[in-house]
Amino acid sequence: MLSTIALDTQVIQPGLCTGCGACQGLCPYWGSVDGRTVCFFDCERHDGRCQRFCPRMPVDLEALRKQFFPSEDILPEIGPYRGLYLTRAADESIRAHAQHGGTMTALVELAMKEGFIDAAVLTRSQGGLDPEGVLAASPEEVRSCKGSSFQVPPTLAVLNQALKEDRYKKIGVVGTPCKTLAVYKMRANPLPDNDNNAQNIGMVFGLFCGWGLDWDGLNNLALSHCNQNMLRHMDIPPSKFHSLELTEHERTISVNLDEVLPLVRSGCRYCVDMTAEFADLSVGGARSADGWDVDKGWNQVIVRSEKGEALLNLAREKGVLEFKEVPDGGLAKLKGASMGKKRTGVGNLKALGGLGYLEPSAALFENL
Amino acid sequence: MEWTMTANAPGQVCLMQGNEAIVRGAVEAGINFAASYPGSPSSQILGMLGKIAGERNFYAEWSTNEVCALQACIGASLANGRALCVVKQNGLLCTADALHCAAQHGVKGGLVIVTSDDPSAHSSTNEFDSRWQAMSAGVALLEPTAMQEAKDMVPYAFDLSEKTGQIVILRLTTRVCHGRGNVVLGPLPDAPHPLEKVREWDRMVCVAYMHGPALEKLEKLREAFCESTYNHYQGPKKAQTLIVAGGTGRLYGQEAVERLGVEDRVGLLSLGTLWPLPEDFILPYLRNAGEVLILEEVDPFLEQALEALAGKHGLQIIFRGRSDGALPKIGELDPDNVEKAISILTDAPLPEKQSSANLDLPVREMTFCAGCPHRATFFLLKKALRQEKNPGVVVGDIGCYFMAGQSAGQYGFQVCNCMGSGVNIAEGLGQLTNYGLEQKVVTMCGDSTFFHTILPGIVNATYQNANMLMIVLDNSATAMTGFQPHPGTGLTAMGDSVPAMNIQRILEAIGCKVEVADPFQPAETEQVLCRLLKKSGMNVLIMRQPCATLKAKERKKPVKVWVDQSKCIGDGCGCDKYCSRVWGCPGNTWDFTNNKARIDPVTCVGCGVCAKLCPGGAIQVEGGEEA
Repeated sequence: MLSTIALDTQVIQPGLCTGCGACQGLCPYWGSVDGRTVCFFDCERHDGRCQRFCPRMPVDLEALRKQFFPSEDILPEIGPYRGLYLTRAADESIRAHAQHGGTMTALVELAMKEGFIDAAVLTRSQGGLDPEGVLAASPEEVRSCKGSSFQVPPTLAVLNQALKEDRYKKIGVVGTPCKTLAVYKMRANPLPDNDNNAQNIGMVFGLFCGWGLDWDGLNNLALSHCNQNMLRHMDIPPSKFHSLELTEHERTISVNLDEVLPLVRSGCRYCVDMTAEFADLSVGGARSADGWDVDKGWNQVIVRSEKGEALLNLAREKGVLEFKEVPDGGLAKLKGASMGKKRTGVGNLKALGGLGYLEPSAALFENL
Repeated sequence: MEWTMTANAPGQVCLMQGNEAIVRGAVEAGINFAASYPGSPSSQILGMLGKIAGERNFYAEWSTNEVCALQACIGASLANGRALCVVKQNGLLCTADALHCAAQHGVKGGLVIVTSDDPSAHSSTNEFDSRWQAMSAGVALLEPTAMQEAKDMVPYAFDLSEKTGQIVILRLTTRVCHGRGNVVLGPLPDAPHPLEKVREWDRMVCVAYMHGPALEKLEKLREAFCESTYNHYQGPKKAQTLIVAGGTGRLYGQEAVERLGVEDRVGLLSLGTLWPLPEDFILPYLRNAGEVLILEEVDPFLEQALEALAGKHGLQIIFRGRSDGALPKIGELDPDNVEKAISILTDAPLPEKQSSANLDLPVREMTFCAGCPHRATFFLLKKALRQEKNPGVVVGDIGCYFMAGQSAGQYGFQVCNCMGSGVNIAEGLGQLTNYGLEQKVVTMCGDSTFFHTILPGIVNATYQNANMLMIVLDNSATAMTGFQPHPGTGLTAMGDSVPAMNIQRILEAIGCKVEVADPFQPAETEQVLCRLLKKSGMNVLIMRQPCATLKAKERKKPVKVWVDQSKCIGDGCGCDKYCSRVWGCPGNTWDFTNNKARIDPVTCVGCGVCAKLCPGGAIQVEGGEEA
């Protein structure tokens, strides 16, 4: 099938598109507007990077995983695993505007300073709205991208352009699970006649993700509850609060989650990855079984690769991160949450008929 | 060419195009006035009249539209002027109200309308048949067979018009307009037709009680037509099988009858005066006939009139033609389909044919010229609309940009009606966006169409503040029909310079929100389009960039555009022939040897837009000097 039509009929029209941008920045045919992936004109090639990179096009996840991670590291619930940690940035100025503990910002900064990477593809947003992909080439630029957004910008379009330029040879990528999966698909070099300089991808930093929200939907929601210009932070507290918190400079507005859930991006309903299983390390907010305040302001980090481990150890040595003991049952709780997302995603896919893009990896999901 | 129009050389035989024959006929008739709006296939007539108007002491104008043209002719007629109005089938329909009113009040100086129909729609969106307008308005209708008749019928029509005080319509078809044939010149008058002052009690007023006198004129014409030498018969004395032909049908019929060798048993009745039908002339032939084949262009006009005549007189005749499928229901006549119809009619075997007509020609769509600004506009419009949450609606209009409906314009519009319709259709849709229709509405018009019929629609859409974007494709030319001047060009048909009207200022005076963009600056203009699509109310964007053909003529040193094939991605992932396949300019071709893009230096006019779009940065632009 023609590339643009394949993506349109198999991903966009059925509502599977995550808006990650993996199909963009490669050619004149694909673009993005307010989180919507847009096809400007039809390409008539039968194969192309857009459909090979797309995280919602079928791929054998098991084979892809084995290509990059030792089998003995792989846990069925959360993917490659070399350790779970509770951390936060030691630097208070990072923590001040971080989503949780500022671990990601501190790690990416460190990776750049220590030569793990020479540039980083990140997402920048102001108070969580209108995010954009950014290519950061200095620790200062990295720091300007702290905090996160529930809108999903096509950050990987920036990665694709940066790879095409071939200027940086060790590019770090920070992304949600859909994005990091796409990055590993890129690294697998699926289209031999155009490798897009995939060897220039240096390191992958995954972000835990429950779901993203519809771009316009969240804008309108924010507009109806607060002053968008004053907005500086959004977060979802543990599930018992059943709310989305919008924080302006001085006050926090709590929006009932019932108002938010209908705005979940359609593509996120079919996602089976909460912890960004394809990454050197993955970072998320810490959620303690003992209450919201216990771990508030801390991150949990899954180290997945040797490189990830080396960076985390360096962070400990250099005092860039503060560590705290992972409580008993922390890993089990994380596994439970991750399996919950897998079950929901598979259930929603089956409602569309079959396992869809997971079909080549059906064995991984047969008991769900 | 112009010499043959104005030479006072009676008896001289000249090779002439049908359109030229009309001009010559008008000069021989001593016209005082000519007006037209360009329309294929008769666009050349007024262009030539404009060139010789000074020498022959008459006035000629490219009117803003056909209604202006016909009504100006009515004015000339009131002063006893001989006035020629030239239109195509759509133009005649534009004039319908004026025509019907004029038919009722009559004319004083001769008023002849030359209307050119385009069977098979070679350069039209339709193949309407003008003849119904003559029947509907109740005026005389003539149709020449070839160039000599085309010339001769013009002075004849003026005489007839003056004798009956009624408009005469002369219907041409594409093959007559564009074909060439020998014409024997007639004498030229010493001076144009004498004008007369309009007297206090002269009247040309359309009132209902003039209907009766108008019908009486029709009967007078019917009598005159029974004597007309433009109607004639050839064939056996009492032909059981009869062919009745109007216009070009006669020549096709004559040829086919000879080729099939059925001259001795088939009669050919040729009619040059089609309405009112010369019944007394036709009836004797009908009375002998058992089967009648009608050869005519487009609709079964004669066919129905003859059936009615036969019915009125209780004649039992089998009629064959467009209606019963003996001839194709649509499309123009040609020697083959006429020969086939006569072969079936007479059982004469079709002669074996030796031709190369079976060779398949490559299918090729009409497209915008190389460097045409419309290509860039529709490319950017498609790109901007694809960025909208809901697919937009684009309403087309008539001009070169009608081709935007095909691949040339990225299949750019969903609807297209007639000239001037775009703004009004968009206005209707735009109002519904306040009633639940969640779509952006866009329409466009060219600069010539803007003056022709768009202006009232713009006033309406602005007055009603419809949610729509109107794009004015200002290429400073009536490019489709051959660069005729219009109010925005600062030139007249007779070559005078006049102040050019400024579309932007007109729009601003109306109260439109107007912006101007350059379609050759793709990145910036795409942003402007995206921004304007988000604005509510009536917004106008003028896309200003001169017609490429005009610009290439003016440029001193041609720009060189070429492909650095070492950078070209070709059909690889990341391009897939973006220049030649998507952008689609005829200048962007494909090098099959190297599998890379190539610029055809002969076709390319050097606009350089493809260089701005090339994803590999492979297209280079060098030099070029503006005049």
